[in-house]
This record gives sequence, structure tokens and C-alpha cells, in this order.
Amino acid sequence: MKKKVLATLLLAAMVTTSVMGCGGAADSTSSADKAETKQEASTEKKEEATAETTDGDFSLAEQAIADRKAKAEETGEYEKVVVSFFDWTGAPAGIDRVNAKLSEYTREKLGVDMELLIIDVAAYTEDLKLMLSSGEQVDLFSTCGPGYMTCVNNGYTADLEEDGLLDNYGAELKNLIRTEYLDACRVGGTLYGVPPIKDYAIQTACILIGTEYLEGAGVDLSKFEKDDLGYNKATWDDVDEMFAAIHEAYPDKIVYSTQDNLLTQGSCVDNIAGDYFGCLLDPANSLEIENVYESELFKEWADRAYRWNQAGYISGDAMTDDNGASSRIKSGAYMAMMSQAKPAYQNQINGECGRDMTIFDVGDAFMGSSAVSAFPWCMNQATEDPIAAMQVLNLLYTDPVVANLACWGEEGVEYVVNPDTSINWAEGVNPDNSEYYPNVLWLMPNQYAAHVWEGDPIDVGEQTAAFNDNCPVKSKALGFTWDNSDYVAEFTALQNAYKEFGPQVIYGFVDPETGLKQLNDALYAAGLQEYMDAKQEALNEWAK
Amino acid sequence: MKVTAKKEKNLKKRLIRYIPLYIMALPGLLYLFINNYMPLPGLVLAFKKYNAKKGIFGSKNVGFKNFKYLFATQDAFVITRNTILYNIVFIIVNTVLAVFVAILLAEMTSKLKKIYQIIILLPFMISMVIVSYLVFGFLSNDNGFLNNTILAALGKEPIQWYMQKQYWPFILVFVNAWKVIGYNCIIYLSTILGIDRSIYESASIDGASKWTQIGKITIPLLKPTIIMMTLLAIGRIFYSDFGLFYQVPQNQGALFSVTNTIDTYVYRGLLELGDMSMASAAGLYQSVVGFIFILTANLIVRKLDPESALF
Repeated sequence: MKKKVLATLLLAAMVTTSVMGCGGAADSTSSADKAETKQEASTEKKEEATAETTDGDFSLAEQAIADRKAKAEETGEYEKVVVSFFDWTGAPAGIDRVNAKLSEYTREKLGVDMELLIIDVAAYTEDLKLMLSSGEQVDLFSTCGPGYMTCVNNGYTADLEEDGLLDNYGAELKNLIRTEYLDACRVGGTLYGVPPIKDYAIQTACILIGTEYLEGAGVDLSKFEKDDLGYNKATWDDVDEMFAAIHEAYPDKIVYSTQDNLLTQGSCVDNIAGDYFGCLLDPANSLEIENVYESELFKEWADRAYRWNQAGYISGDAMTDDNGASSRIKSGAYMAMMSQAKPAYQNQINGECGRDMTIFDVGDAFMGSSAVSAFPWCMNQATEDPIAAMQVLNLLYTDPVVANLACWGEEGVEYVVNPDTSINWAEGVNPDNSEYYPNVLWLMPNQYAAHVWEGDPIDVGEQTAAFNDNCPVKSKALGFTWDNSDYVAEFTALQNAYKEFGPQVIYGFVDPETGLKQLNDALYAAGLQEYMDAKQEALNEWAK
Repeated sequence: MKVTAKKEKNLKKRLIRYIPLYIMALPGLLYLFINNYMPLPGLVLAFKKYNAKKGIFGSKNVGFKNFKYLFATQDAFVITRNTILYNIVFIIVNTVLAVFVAILLAEMTSKLKKIYQIIILLPFMISMVIVSYLVFGFLSNDNGFLNNTILAALGKEPIQWYMQKQYWPFILVFVNAWKVIGYNCIIYLSTILGIDRSIYESASIDGASKWTQIGKITIPLLKPTIIMMTLLAIGRIFYSDFGLFYQVPQNQGALFSVTNTIDTYVYRGLLELGDMSMASAAGLYQSVVGFIFILTANLIVRKLDPESALF
């Protein structure tokens, strides 16, 4: 008898689990159906809304807000819009408080709750992809991490102009971003993302040297003229001289903190379509795709690196050291690095390097083809209410209250406002104990809608806009994108070939003569020519 | 008729008798089902161009296109060769060393035996990331123990370890053996301790030396365990320890021709591309080949020694 009871129990357990298993699967399909029907419903609703506006005085946007508020009053619950991006340390301690403040404001303003979902940089790409493919709620997200083209190719992103979404519900946002820059984010004519407002141009090849080391070595800075951004103009010969001087004065410290950024930050070569396997060497004037690793420019860099390495300026462990260049300088063991500058860079780099750095501007200002579309803000294609999401995005770009909360946290808790509207740490708060300090201004939708940090120019927004406008080397291919998914095999092989033979040239561990030949042979064997041809064809098609 | 009825009754009886055992196994079976069987339909992803808008099953079929990057490049040969050769060497070296250490520990009568055992097991508990820095401590160009202490004492030139690929096959085999033998030897040790002591006693009465006892008693009785462990390892011959091949050589490009395996190749490729379909294709390929390998190996074992075969 007992056994029978047991058997029944077992059977019951088995049946429930198998049903549960199936139930899960069935549910997910039916939820897809639901999403579809919901979409249908929402389009219907939109049509209704359009019909109403032609009669009444309400704009579409106001109507949507009023509808949501009415619904919230009925149900007692506001719908929520989730905004995701990364920071360096994971969800800040004060995130709930900031989200509550944001929601308090957006309930009044838009009739929605708003939630910032901040994930640490190491996990962001994976977490975001999982959320986007599993249907977890995330409505707006920064593509900094997974990459814009990856998100578009995988179908994660919504068309922002579908049914007049951007025009009707993000009008201020649309006015704020120049058409030229919006167009740069179109993929196959469709707008899947809006770029963060920031410096799109970069001041290439800036050598940064710790001021204390320059002083210690007795380098005379007065001979350098200042460039438009107020940094010292220098030549490579000046840099060689200064490196020799600080090397002599501080023989125990390593002179140059390397990173694989010769092309990305040190040159005006346009890494067309996201990689350097086939580039525009003269992007301002020509749309011809060439192999940069055979160019004079790269050879010059390789020679320089080799010379520096031979002179003992580069660490013997440079190849294996994957710490950031600036954090190595912060540690006190290194003295100089190469980076890209922009307006108000001084504060940022001093913070990163933990000491006062002197900036020497050696290269030109440059705006590459993917500068604007590097990491736009996108909307999840599965968003339940695209209108609410668009209105929140609009607010993130244009509303100082929302921008300040998202960028800096709560006034009086995280920061205090100075009389000149710049801000500084609140009493007793610093970067280490602040409960909200994402420190990713450059990826925020519009950092210039928020306060300026003390020490940066108050008009940094205008300065940056001017910097973008005055950039002398603007790529002709601005806005060109290319889906390389038909050439994935070649791309993977090229990457491997580059990683095998590239870094040793870049860090100066091999004689450029042999190193460059090895690298180019390996690249061509991996299919560089076919890859470049395919790019060229796509580019020609685009330029037509 | 009667016979089948009797059989059925037997079966029923057996089933009923083992019900408590089935219940005990239930949580494990459930876990296996949820974790290993429920995701199986997702394998179709390997043959699709995944698009989140259309979902897994609605995405476009592309046939074997996702597998192309595994075979169509010049690296395909290198990664396959590295994966298989390293695994074969690992299987041989680790088995020999683990059995050797297990026998040593079994023969040991010292009170310190437990401590030795723990010390040998310790490396297995250390994460590969930390191992990679321990190795770096030895091999670093500027501050490494080998370059600064040993080679300097011998009056030899320092070696750029992370740029010279000829040393790495040995370094990787050594590191892998150091890390895993502690764990493997526990399994062998438990088998040895399970051997009936009276066999040894009668052997020593008959005048067999320690060596003869080990050669004629311990090793033959260990054989089924060794075969089982080897078969399991062969099933994973197309997988490689990602940490060992990625972290320990510090992801150095100059060493790719001796450290690039299928797993690291796929990881490097997909890190940039973020393509789920291609990742699934790689996983499917590894599983299918591993499955074929283990079936073949088991078939051979069954031919040679039917009792030791896994299934």
C-alpha cells in the first residue's frame, strides 16, 4: 500500500515537472504572440490618438502623457521605463534613491516611472544581450559595450522613426542633434539610434607627461606655443628630447606607458566600418581603401616605437601588461603616455593619472567615419510602450533635472552647486565614498544638459560643438557603416594574424623591417585583399 | 506467452523495489533534464542567422554558413591540431603522474600523509587567473624569477618567455599537470584503498616485493578506473581548458600558433562579433565530434576488454 502511495506521488511529481517544463516553453511562445497582439493594439491606439489630435488642441505627445496619467490613476500604478548603461563599479549604492527622485519627477512630467539600470563595465555587454534576447525589461540602452552594429545586426534595436515616433514624441531631441549627425547613425537608411552629444572629433596624438617629471628634469615649457584648445604644440623631435631628459632624470621609472592605440588615437587614419583591415589613409579627400600596415605612416610609428624600446623607454613586460596606460602612470612607475585630447581634457586626465599632466599636442584634430555612430542610444525592439520610451529619451537629452540626476546624482547629497553654476563634491563626499558617481559622462545622452564640474569651462558644451565644427580632417565617409557578417571567416583570421604579429611591432619589440613584413604577409594570407575589396565595393555603393 | 508475462511481472517487481532509489535520484535527474535537455532545441540556433526580432525559431535558416569560420581559415588546422594534441598529451601525462602519486600516497604510512594529500590537491582549487599570475611571476621579462634569479645565477641571457613559442608546449603541459593531478589522484587513491588488503598480505607471504605487488596487483586492479577516466577525457578531447590556454599565456598573440585552441579561437572571434549563432555552431561542432570520439573509443575498449567499457 505504502509503495502505491509512493508511486502515485512520484508520478504526480513527474507529471507536474514535465508539464511545468512544457508550460515554460509554451508560455514563451505565447508571450511572443501576446507581444504581437499588443503591438497591433498599440498601433490601433496610435491611430486613435492621431484621429483625436486632429480634433483637439492637444499635441500627440501631451495626449500620450495625459493617457498614461489617466491610466495610472485608474490602476494606481505607473508604467516604468528602464534605461541601461554601464559604469566602472556596478550599481551605485544610491541608485534606488536616485531612481526614486527621477520617478518623482517623471511621474509629474510624463506619467511614467523611470529606472536607471547601471551595470558594471565587465558584465554590461553580456547582461544586456541576455536581457534583450530574453525579454527582460530594458527599454533604452547605450550601445557602448556591445557595439552599435552588433545590436543592429542582431535585431535588438527598434526603428526610432517608425510611425513618426521621433518626430511626434522626441521633437526637442531631434532639434538638438544635427541632421548630419543623426544621418550618420542610419543603417541602411533606418535610424536605430541617436548619438550622445559629445566631442565627435578628437585631437590625435597627444603626448601626456607628468608635470612633476618635466620640472624635475628641468624641461623648459615656455618655448611651446599653445594650440586652439590651450595645449602645448610640439613635434616628435620635441617629444624625443623630453623623453631623453626625463629618462635621464628618473632612471628608475619607465618613460612611456604603451597601449595599442597608434591608429585609434595617434593618427587620422579612418578605421572604416569598425576595423583597421582596410582603411582610408587620407579620409578627408579620398575614399580609397588601403592597407594601413604597409603605409609610410605606420612605418614611421613602428620605427619610433622600436627606437623608444631600444632606448629603454618601454617596459620589457609591455606586451603582457593589460593595465590601462593612465592607471600605470597613477601607480607612479611610469611617466608619459599617448592619448587623444578634446576641450576640457585637462581635468579628466589629471584625475585618471592621479597627478598633474602636461599635454603636448603633436597630431591633428580628426573626425572619423564612425565617430558619431560609435555608441548611440537605442530602444529595445521589444519595448512595450515605444512612445513612453521615446519621451523618456527626449527628457534625458533635454531636461536638466533628469540629466543632472543621471549624470551626478542628487543635489545636496552627492554634489553642491557653486554660484557660477559649476558643481563640486558635497561636504565629506569624494569619488570613493560617493553613493552615485557613474563617471561615464561621455556616454550619457547629453552631458551638457547637466552641470559642469568645477574647473572645467562653464561653456564646455559650446566649446565642444565648436571643436567638432572646426575639425580640419573630417572623414568623407562620415556615417558609412558596413555589415561584415558575410566575411566573418576572413575577419576572424585577420584578427588572429594581427594579434600574432601586430603588438610586437607596435610596442617596438622587433625590428620594423622584419616585423612589418611578417605582419603584412600574415594579413594577406588571412584574406586581407578580399576583405578590403568587399569594403571598397560597399563604400563605393554608399558614396553613389 | 507465459514467459513474457513472467518477464513483465519481474520488471514490475524490480521497478517497485527500486522506487526509493529513483526518488533519491529524482533531484539529480530533474537537474539534468532542466540543465542539459531542455536547452537542446536551442541547437537549431547554429543553423540560423539570429535576429532578436524574429526569435530563435523564426530567424532565417542559413544552413552550415555559421560553421564556415571554423573551417575556412588558415587557423582551422592550427586550432584543431593544438586542441587534440594537447589533450592527448594531457591524458597520457596526467594519468601516468596521477597513478604514480596515488600509489605513492597509498603506500605511505607516515602521519603526514593527509597533509601531503592536501598540498597536492591545493593547485586544483586555485583559479586559472591566479595561476596565470603565478606563472607570470616566474616568466616576467623584467621581474620574473627565472630571468632574474635562475638564469642570472647560471650566467645565461634572459629569455623573452612570452614571445618565444618553442617553450610553451612544455610550460602548458607542466602547468596543467601541476594543477590537475591532485584531483585525479584522489580518484585513483580511493580505488587503491578499496582493494582487498588480504591480497597484498598473501602476496607478501608468498615473498612478492613491493614492486611486484604494485605491478601485479595494484595496477591491474586500477585498470578499469584508468580506462573509465581516459574514456571520459576522450569525450572532451575537442574541448580545451579555456583558462589554461587564454589566461596562462596572457593572451599573447606571438604565442598563438602553440596556444590557440578551438575555445580560445571562438572566444576571440566572437568577443568582437557577439554573434550567438556562430557560438552555438562552435559548441555543436565540439559536442558532436566529442560524442563520436567517445563512442569510438568505447567501441574499441569493448572489443578489447568488454568488462571495462563504459556502456
